[in-house]
Amino acid sequence: MKLLKCPVNGERPLSEFVFGGEVREMPDPNTCSDQEWAAYVHYRNGAPGMKKEWWYHGPSGTWFIAERDTMLDEVARTYLYGQEEKQ
Amino acid sequence: MPLRLLKYALSREHPAPRFFRACEKPKDSYDVVIIGGGGHGLAAAYYLAKDHGITNVAVLERGYIGGGNTGRNTTIVRSNYLTPEGVNFYNASVKLFEDLSQDLNLNLFYSTRGHFTLAHTESAMRTMRWRAEVNKHVGVESYVVGPDEISKACPQLDISCSGQAPILGALYHAPGSVARHDAVAWGYARGADQRGVEIYQNTEVTGIDVQGGKVRGVHTSRGYIATNKVLSAVAGFTPRVCKMVDVQTPIVIQPLQACVSEPMKPWLDTILVSGSLHVYVSQSSRGELVMGSSLDPYEVHSTRSSLDFVEGLTSHILDMFPFLSNVKIVRQWAGMADITPDFAPIMGKTPVDGFYLDAGWGTWGFKATPISGKSMAETIAKDKAPELIHSFRLSRFEEYELTGEKGAASVGH
Amino acid sequence: MSMRLPKQNGEWINRSKPVKFTFEGANFEGYEGDTISSALWAGNERILGRSFKYHRPRGVLSLANHDVNVMVTDTVDTNMRGDVVAVKAGMKLTAVNTEGGVRNDRSRYIDKMAKLLPVGFYYKAFHTPKSMFPFWENIIRKAAGLGVVNFEYPRILKRKTHRHCDLLIVGAGPTGLTAAIVAAKNGLEVVIVDENAQAGGSLTYDRAGSPEPLSQLQELMAEVARHSNITLMTGSYAAGYYTDHLVPIVRPDGIVKVRARAVIVASGVFEQPPVFRNNDLPGVMLGSAAQRLIYRYAVKPFNNGVVVTANAHGYRVALDLLQAGCKVSAVIDLRANGESGPLAAEVARKGVAVRKGSCIYEVLPQAGNMGVRGVQVCNYDEERAEADASSIETIECDGVAMCAGWAPAAALLYQAGTAMRYDNEVHQFVPNRLPEGVFAAGKVNGVYKLEDRMHDGARAVAEAMRHLGMDAPAVTVAAHAGAAPSHPYPVVPHPNAKNFVDFDEDLQVKDFINAAKEGFDNIELMKRFTTVGMGPSQGKHSNMNAIRILARIRGVAPEKIGTTTARPFFHPTPIGHLGGRSFHPHRVTAMHSWHKAAGAVLSEGGVWVRPAYYAKPGMSAQDIVQDEAMSVRTSAGMIDASTLGKIEICGPDASHFLERFYTGSYGSQKVGEIRFALLLDEAGVVVDDGVAARIADDKFYVSTNTANAAPVYREMQRWLQKWKLNVWLINVTGAYAAMNLAGPNACKILSKLTSDDISEKAFPASHFMEAKVAGVTARILRVNFVAEQAYEIHVPAPQARAVWEAIMEAGAQEGLRPFGTDAQRLLRLEMGNHLVSHDTDGLTNPFEIGAEWALRMGKPFFVGQRSLKIIAKRSVTKRLVPYMLDEGYSGEMPQECNLVINASGEIKGRVTSIAFSRSVGRVIGFAYVDPADVAPGSRFQIRADSGAMVNATVVKTPFIKSSNEGDQA
Repeated sequence: MKLLKCPVNGERPLSEFVFGGEVREMPDPNTCSDQEWAAYVHYRNGAPGMKKEWWYHGPSGTWFIAERDTMLDEVARTYLYGQEEKQ
Repeated sequence: MPLRLLKYALSREHPAPRFFRACEKPKDSYDVVIIGGGGHGLAAAYYLAKDHGITNVAVLERGYIGGGNTGRNTTIVRSNYLTPEGVNFYNASVKLFEDLSQDLNLNLFYSTRGHFTLAHTESAMRTMRWRAEVNKHVGVESYVVGPDEISKACPQLDISCSGQAPILGALYHAPGSVARHDAVAWGYARGADQRGVEIYQNTEVTGIDVQGGKVRGVHTSRGYIATNKVLSAVAGFTPRVCKMVDVQTPIVIQPLQACVSEPMKPWLDTILVSGSLHVYVSQSSRGELVMGSSLDPYEVHSTRSSLDFVEGLTSHILDMFPFLSNVKIVRQWAGMADITPDFAPIMGKTPVDGFYLDAGWGTWGFKATPISGKSMAETIAKDKAPELIHSFRLSRFEEYELTGEKGAASVGH
Repeated sequence: MSMRLPKQNGEWINRSKPVKFTFEGANFEGYEGDTISSALWAGNERILGRSFKYHRPRGVLSLANHDVNVMVTDTVDTNMRGDVVAVKAGMKLTAVNTEGGVRNDRSRYIDKMAKLLPVGFYYKAFHTPKSMFPFWENIIRKAAGLGVVNFEYPRILKRKTHRHCDLLIVGAGPTGLTAAIVAAKNGLEVVIVDENAQAGGSLTYDRAGSPEPLSQLQELMAEVARHSNITLMTGSYAAGYYTDHLVPIVRPDGIVKVRARAVIVASGVFEQPPVFRNNDLPGVMLGSAAQRLIYRYAVKPFNNGVVVTANAHGYRVALDLLQAGCKVSAVIDLRANGESGPLAAEVARKGVAVRKGSCIYEVLPQAGNMGVRGVQVCNYDEERAEADASSIETIECDGVAMCAGWAPAAALLYQAGTAMRYDNEVHQFVPNRLPEGVFAAGKVNGVYKLEDRMHDGARAVAEAMRHLGMDAPAVTVAAHAGAAPSHPYPVVPHPNAKNFVDFDEDLQVKDFINAAKEGFDNIELMKRFTTVGMGPSQGKHSNMNAIRILARIRGVAPEKIGTTTARPFFHPTPIGHLGGRSFHPHRVTAMHSWHKAAGAVLSEGGVWVRPAYYAKPGMSAQDIVQDEAMSVRTSAGMIDASTLGKIEICGPDASHFLERFYTGSYGSQKVGEIRFALLLDEAGVVVDDGVAARIADDKFYVSTNTANAAPVYREMQRWLQKWKLNVWLINVTGAYAAMNLAGPNACKILSKLTSDDISEKAFPASHFMEAKVAGVTARILRVNFVAEQAYEIHVPAPQARAVWEAIMEAGAQEGLRPFGTDAQRLLRLEMGNHLVSHDTDGLTNPFEIGAEWALRMGKPFFVGQRSLKIIAKRSVTKRLVPYMLDEGYSGEMPQECNLVINASGEIKGRVTSIAFSRSVGRVIGFAYVDPADVAPGSRFQIRADSGAMVNATVVKTPFIKSSNEGDQA
């Protein structure tokens, strides 16, 4: 099983994690068009590449961000949301 | 022994012609370019030529024909879906499949085995009834059966599942079948080739030329090809192709794994699926158990296998068939699946004029091969999608009209 | 006549432990340490199995776990591989896949009909007429397959263990053993595995008649034994390579999952058969198989053999055969120049005739293809791969050893993502670009000379050490010098074919030529059309020749052909090993043992098991459920509600957080009040409902549906990170147990156990209070989900059992009884409450279930709000309504998920809930109907299972009369 590094708990087997999808910017619901909102809700950047993703370490209840190459399935780094600069 | 085989015995030279020409140098332009030489792309080419007389068509395949999900799936064909639109669509596919060996003059080993979707919980039983009722309504033979009927069809199945997940009943679907998946691609390729379609293997599309919102051509590893119509039939690669034309879709790629056992004498005559145990299994005509499970839980664009998959799957297989302890798994593999939020495909026109999409095939692409080919051929020929695939249009997401298949999310393959 | 040799130094058999067994009804005797094949061969049995397709007799081919034509059954187990499975006393063996025994197999006629069965024949026949296909299919299915499965075979639990190490070495030949020693000396924790019963690799059998390899092996083993940081596992194969250096090691007793920091693959090579007519007859075997028979099992491969070769190894084999007392009638060397040097000189000195530039044109069979009576040898044009049939000469013999070259056992390397290249110096694929932390050494790396291989092992360790961040000296390994160990094209054409490439699948050279003719001239397509490499040995002895043949057909170098993708497993691996123990974990509540003692029948809900109802002797489940429900209506009942999700939301921004997360309004909520909590996803779909109790200004206590506790908590945590509110969340689902005491006597019963005033007036519905119940501090929620008078009592899980029992005792006088989830479902229905995921599905929006009242669309933001604004512009296609069947209805009872059908026969919706309610005296339920039919009094029709149409009428909720006549949600 693949290993993933939780920024709090260290390297753990993948079975302890839940994938939360790519980090996406929510458009301003008050100013965006219906079409923009529908695109935000439904559409995804499905092409491979280095992506920022939400991952959740279940046993400790920790959400964090992983920068992962979805083609190679290799994680470049992980950090808590909003703490990117501290890395 | 059929007489047909005698001609091989009596001839000195192997008398069979090539299935398809070895095309090396594409022309400057085609009426239609199909990206993807899998079952879907080749079927679309076949029906474009056969139904619509459009033969100036090139099929471009990055690897070899049928090498993607066509050759990686577990070959189950069925139509017992949840929504009337879904049932009608897949039923049309089953009907085409039933005569396809004769139509293509190639034995596809289309074998009608009957398909049981096992229910281990009351809520699963409810979903089975829902599907059965919709199927009946549309005229498809599906009904809810009890454990006795399951045992009769498959006496080897442990109805209690080793005491872990007792089977309460099942949705029985009489037309459920398996087929030789590779042959479907080869048969369509041959049929298309015979009608003038050109198939280019080892030919990668590197870009799509769009001007003023209209398709003008494709850039390939064998040079530029002018065309006004491009069909993308590239399950597992859809987001990459859509990026070339800047068309947004909900599709993400997740691997789907499968494995196969050593051959053994036939004993499993039906196709069994368990949503709760995440197992589907049938026995191929070679005698192997062909087994699959649920999707890998996150996005990956690769076909690597994992140990967790085969450990989980075999553990559940043993719950159902404890006597298989010493039967061996020979090989495991993976395919990359286009996953949509409502478990239905995306077919038809797109915001880019002349760019057609046959995508979002998740884990159910093989069974739709004939009807998707036929429907996409019509869509391209008439520049209008037939009613049969209206509910699968790309615009449904912006319109918040997702298909109802999501209601049966727990249901497997 | 026994073929057993006198004692061989280093032999693997234990002559003091004879083993008696039968094969196909005849008696045999072997020794402990024998495999089934070696024991049979020692007993002069040549027909060990029949081939898959043509049912040709087959004997020993490799003795290296790819003799898949020798599969036997002991009546319990099937598809046992004779070449590697140890023989045991009392075994009663027969070959699989024969009709009437291995000698007289009635299916052998198929061999005579081979011409009728060209490559891919089954695609070209049997489908017309269509009606005949099932008939042919039945015949084909029966002919296919190998062994018969034993349905009585027990489920065997195999252990799974985990092991971490610095370095995993796959293959304990001289390369791997050297690597292990070097690594151990540098302080690394080493695991080294080998699939053979004993370590040593080629040193155990490839000796060229010399005692030296054995003494070299003994030295290596003695050195290995001196290092406590080396774990050597024999009889254990590395089944596959998975991400992050995870390698499952399959042993007879289970799987060891090794997670290594670095991996060295020193797995060696598979000997490849040269291809000539009748190269499959019993007695024709790989040179290495002959050597294994001699040195491991002390069995003579044959009495009078020839060696056909294209490398130095053939000469080593000839010397080993001579050492074992076999006559070697000729060494037939495909190469025009043959072999030079000491080996060739030694062979010549022993009087063996060597024919250079020659090939075996065909092997002459004994009657029934039961063995070898001689070989036809002729001149061979190496460049053009043509045999000169005019120069044929016959040599009498009873066996052939084949030594034409090797293919790397590179499965693990491929699985790890190694790019391979074809090396023209050794005529073999070798690693070109290895993934990080994976190294290759020895023959699999194209290194053949013994001392070079040992150097290569040391080199790989040095690289592995650098990968691990250690200093290591550079080790250089001499480049390959001299003739290639493999022949570039050891294929002899023959007009009558039967020159086999794939012994699993009975594929001959012409099958490849014909497949290419039909357009299957890409290696993957060829594999799929011919099925080469798809048999149980997965191409171990066939893929390389297939690549060579295809390259020759297309006129390109083998490198241009590439290889097919290698996937796990390296060897077929038993389901019992992989499946191991099966785990079906579930959670139970604090009152679980009480429920069981009370006769509870359990059902699953999410990860929990909980009582569906409490069995009563002589009563049907249906009646019990009605009774349980009725006691709630007439007096009191109590259900264990511990499985509800329970989350505390604390902090100054707590109400602000709820306002954003749920659809309702919480800012204005007073402490002690309870409000409905409806959760949507971003697409506006209903995903959960529960209640939110404000227990302090800065603290809410929120419940979720049983199945949703974990996902709702998870989503709360994620949104909290994005919103950056001053809030913290505590999931107390497991920490708190809950019980719901409901019914007209609920207040009376509970009052006995608390000093607080819990009367309707002091503590009305939709309120919360903290009170001592039976001495335990409890959170009490007035939630009228199942009854108007209901108290949900939440207490810390460790005290819950005592509180439950105290309440049951306190209510004994009033006839308080427990009820399960079945009765709960009926009770909530009577109250007119829908259940998320029972009355909704994965696409249901709040407008469809009439939950507009729960939406505060005027709020600045809540999850799903923006989507609802879009959905609100569209017309609803179905709506959930409460309905009743006609009074006194006694026809077929509709079931949940029966469809609602309109007058034109169209589907308009479906029944989501239905039950007979004794309290109401009618069949009641929820159904989706046409939005035009939602007004109370509207009629619609349900189609029951049989097709009968059943009338239903839309009504108002609650179904049961309310004491204060107010409509409830």
